[in-house]
Amino acid sequence: MKQLVCISKTPETTAKINFKDGNTAFDESGVQFIMNPYDEWYALVRAIELKESLGGTVTVINVGPASNDVVIRKALAIGADEGIRVDAEPKSALYVAKQIAANAEGFDLVYCGKETIDYNGSEVGAMVAEYLDQPFVSFATKLEVEGNSATVTRDIEGGSEISKIDTPFVLSAAKGMAEQRIPNMRGIMMAKKKPLNVVEPVGFDDKVVVSSFTLPDAKTECKMIDPENMDELVRLLQEEAKVL
Amino acid sequence: MAKYMSMDNLRFVLHEMLNVEELCNLPRFSEYDKDSFDILLDSVKGAADQYMYPTFRDCDHDPARFEDGKVIVHESVDTMMKQAGENGTIGMTFDYEVGGMQLPHTVEVACGHIAEAANNNLTGYTGLTNGSANLIVTFGSQELIDTYVPKMLAGKWGGTMCLTEPQAGSSLSDISTSAKLNDDGSYNIVGQKIFISGGDHEYCDNFVHLVLARIEGAPAGTKGISLFVVPKNRIQEDQSLTSNDVITAGDFQKMGQRGYCTTHLVFGEKDDCKGWLVGPENKGLKCMFQMMNAARIDVGCTAASVATAAYYASLQYAKERPQGRRILSGGVKNVEAEQTTIINHPDVRRMLLLQKSVIEGSLALLLQCSKYQDLAEHGPEDTRTQNHDLLELLTPIAKTYPSEMGRVSISNGLQIFGGYGFCTEFPLEQYYRDIRIMSLYEGTTGIQSLDLLGRKVVSKNGEAMKLLTKEMIETIKSASNYDDLKPYAEKLKEASKTLESTLMHLLQFAMNGQHERYIADATIFMELMSNVTIAWQWLKMATVAKTALVTGNMTFGSEFYENKIHTMKFYYKYELPKIFSASETLKHKDSLTILEENKAVLA
Ligand SMILES: Cc1cc2nc3c(=O)[nH]c(=O)nc-3n(C[C@H](O)[C@H](O)[C@H](O)COP(=O)(O)OP(=O)(O)OC[C@H]3O[C@@H](n4cnc5c(N)ncnc54)[C@H](O)[C@@H]3O)c2cc1C
Repeated sequence: MKQLVCISKTPETTAKINFKDGNTAFDESGVQFIMNPYDEWYALVRAIELKESLGGTVTVINVGPASNDVVIRKALAIGADEGIRVDAEPKSALYVAKQIAANAEGFDLVYCGKETIDYNGSEVGAMVAEYLDQPFVSFATKLEVEGNSATVTRDIEGGSEISKIDTPFVLSAAKGMAEQRIPNMRGIMMAKKKPLNVVEPVGFDDKVVVSSFTLPDAKTECKMIDPENMDELVRLLQEEAKVL
Repeated sequence: MAKYMSMDNLRFVLHEMLNVEELCNLPRFSEYDKDSFDILLDSVKGAADQYMYPTFRDCDHDPARFEDGKVIVHESVDTMMKQAGENGTIGMTFDYEVGGMQLPHTVEVACGHIAEAANNNLTGYTGLTNGSANLIVTFGSQELIDTYVPKMLAGKWGGTMCLTEPQAGSSLSDISTSAKLNDDGSYNIVGQKIFISGGDHEYCDNFVHLVLARIEGAPAGTKGISLFVVPKNRIQEDQSLTSNDVITAGDFQKMGQRGYCTTHLVFGEKDDCKGWLVGPENKGLKCMFQMMNAARIDVGCTAASVATAAYYASLQYAKERPQGRRILSGGVKNVEAEQTTIINHPDVRRMLLLQKSVIEGSLALLLQCSKYQDLAEHGPEDTRTQNHDLLELLTPIAKTYPSEMGRVSISNGLQIFGGYGFCTEFPLEQYYRDIRIMSLYEGTTGIQSLDLLGRKVVSKNGEAMKLLTKEMIETIKSASNYDDLKPYAEKLKEASKTLESTLMHLLQFAMNGQHERYIADATIFMELMSNVTIAWQWLKMATVAKTALVTGNMTFGSEFYENKIHTMKFYYKYELPKIFSASETLKHKDSLTILEENKAVLA
C-alpha cells in the first residue's frame, strides 16, 4: 500500500505570536517550529503502523521553504520512507492543496491532520480530495485497512460513525487514531540517508488574500479569592467575568 | 503542562555559544548534523513531557522502599528502562561496534538536562546502567562485553557502581570487600556495599554490579583495589539465570530523590558470589576514575536541571501571585489600587535573577566541559591533551557549583512562594530536598575541593590553570569589542588576577611543607574559583548575545539576547564581588580550623 502523509510546520505551543507588514503576515522571527501534532501523532504514526502490518511505503509531503526540511527529517526519523518538499511559500490552504494534489497521484491513502494548530483551517484535506476526485473522511479517529477496503471511525455528537470505504481516498486524522511515537536514535541517523526530494511548485493563481490578522485580548491577571468568601467569587463571576 | 526547562536556552548554548555542529567535522561524529541533534533533543523532550514530568511528584509520594525482601519502585522506572532501551539512549556515546550511537558527550549531557529537569528521580537508573556498561566496554574482556553490554543497552539489565562500604565512603582506600581467585578464573566476592543507587527492583531481570574489592594478598590502600563485574544472577550455559548470592538487605529511606532506590547489598553470604575481573589487577580505582569525570558532570547537570525546573516553577508563581503594591515615586503606596503580582517587586526580581544566573551559568559550564571531553577523546590529535587538561581542571567545579549554588537558587525560589513554598502542595519543597544529595554523592563538596586545590590546579606545574587563563583572555578580548561589555571584561580580568594571586598566596604554604594548611580552606577556594569560572561563562554568553543583536543574525527574538546580557550584568553585580571576601578569608593570617592549633575548641 502506498500512503502519503501531508505534514505541516507550526509554531511551538509556547511561542509568542506577532504579526508584521500591517498585520497581514505572521512574524516568524524568534519563533521555534514543530511538526503539527495532528499530522505527527495521529496521521503519520497510523500510516507507519499500517505499513508495518501490511507492507508498502509511507511518503511525507510538505509545502514550504528549505527551513522546513528539519520537520520532514523528523517524519523520516519516526519511520516514513521518503519525503517530498514542494519548494514554495504555503500561501493559502487552496494553494497548498493544489501543490499536494500535483504530487499525490498513485497513492492508496492520503492523510492530513484534522487541522493545523496555528491557522486551524481544516481545509487542505478536503481540497486535496476534490482535486484528486477522491472521497474524503474528516476527523477520523480510527482506521483499519484490509485489502483495498478501509473501515474509518469518526466521532460524532454523542457517539461515533463508522464507514466502509474503498481506497484510494483522503482522510484527516484526529486524536485517538494512534499514539505519539518518539523517534529513536537509529531512526534519526537513518533519516539522513532517506530520500528527500525537492520539487518545484505548479503554477497557480491564488484567489485568497489575507487582509489582516488580529490577536486575542491579552489575558488579564488572575485574582485569588479566599475560599471563605464565596459571595465575592460569585459577584466577580457575575459582574466582572460575566460568565454567570 | 508547566514549563520545567528552556529548549531555547539549551539550543542557544549548544549552537550559538558552543557551535556543537562543528564536532560533526570530526570523523567520529561525521554521520550527524545540526538537524539530527535538534530532532534528538526534541524527541527527548517529547518523552520527558509524556511520562517523566507527569510522574515527578508521584515518585516522591510513592517512594522506593523495601518490602518483603523486595525493592519496590515507581512503575515509571519500568517505562524509563524500556523506552531508553528501545530508543537507544543508554550508551548513546558508545562506539557503533558495541551497539552505541557515537553521539558526542555534549549532546548526551544536553539530553540529560531535559530529562533530569523533568524528573531527576528516574534518570539515575539509566545513567548508572550507561556508566557501568561503559566500564565493561572500556576495560572488560570481549567475553564480558558480549555477556553483559547488549542486555544493559537494551534496558533489560540494570547497572550499578558499588564503591561505598560502611567504613569507606570518601576514603576508598579503606575498602574491605574481598575477592579470592577460583580455578576457573572467576573470583569469590565477599563483603557489603551500602548506598548503592538503582541496586535492585522488579523491572530488570538482572543487575550488573561493578564492584571495587581487594584481591587476597593485595597491597594496602588504593594500590590494592580491583574492579569486578558481579551480576545479581549468574548466566548458566543454557542462558538461564541463577542466583549469584547477592542479597538486597534494605533500601535507605531518604529526604530527597525518594523515587531513586538506594540499596544495601550483601555479597557472598553463602560464599557463592562470583565476580569477574575488569581491567588489570589492583588498578580498579584507576579504571573507576576514568569514568568519574562523566559521572561528576552528570551529577552537576542533574543539580543544574533540578534548579532549572525550580526556577520555572517560581517564575510562573511570581507572575500569578498578587500581593502588596509597588512603591511609587515619592515613596507612597496607593492602597486603593489593586495588588500587584509579586514579580513586580524588586526583591522578588532579585531572587529570580539569582536563580536564572545560577542555572544558565551552570548549564553553559557543563556543556562547555562536555565539549572539552569530546575534543579530548576525538578531536584533532594535537589539541587532545589541552582539552583533556581543561576538562580535568574544571570537572570538580562543574560538579560542585551547580550542586551548592543550585541549592541556594532553589532556596530563593522557595522563598518566592512565601509560606506556600514550605507546603507539600507546591513542588519547590521537593526540588529543595532532591537537590540536597548532589553535593554528597560522587565525592562530597569537601572532597571535590581537595581534588581541585590539592591536585588539579597544581597538576603538570599549573599547566591547566594557564590554559584556563588563556580561554578567559580570549573571552575578555571578544567582549572588549563591544563598548557596553568592556566594563565587564575588565571585571573578569580583575577577578582572574584575584584568583591567581590568592592561589599564589596559598601555594607558599605547600612550598613550606604546611600541606594541611594549604588545603584547609579548599572549599572556600572552590567557591572563589567556581565564581570566577561562572563569570567567564556569563561573559561568553553575553558576547554571543551581543553579536547576535548587532549582526541581526538571531535565531530567537531580540528579547532573548537582551535578557542574556541583563543576567550577565546581574551576575557581575551580585555574585562576582563575593570572590573578594573569599580571597580575604583565604589570605587571612589566622589559621582557625587546624586541629593542633585549636585543640581546645570543639573539644
Ligand atoms: C542517596 C545516595 C546514593 C548513593 N549512591 C552511591 C552509589 O551508587 N554507589 C556508591 O558506591 N556510593 C554511593 N553513595 C555513597 C556516597 O558516594 C558517599 O556517601 C559519599 O562519598 C560520602 O561518604 P560517607 O557517606 O561515608 O561520608 P564520609 O566519607 O564519612 O564523610 C563525612 C564528611 O567528612 C568529610 N570528609 C571525609 N574525608 C575527608 C577528608 N579527607 N578531608 C576533608 N573532609 C573529609 C566529607 O566531605 C563529609 O562532609 C550514595 C550515597 C547516597 C546518600
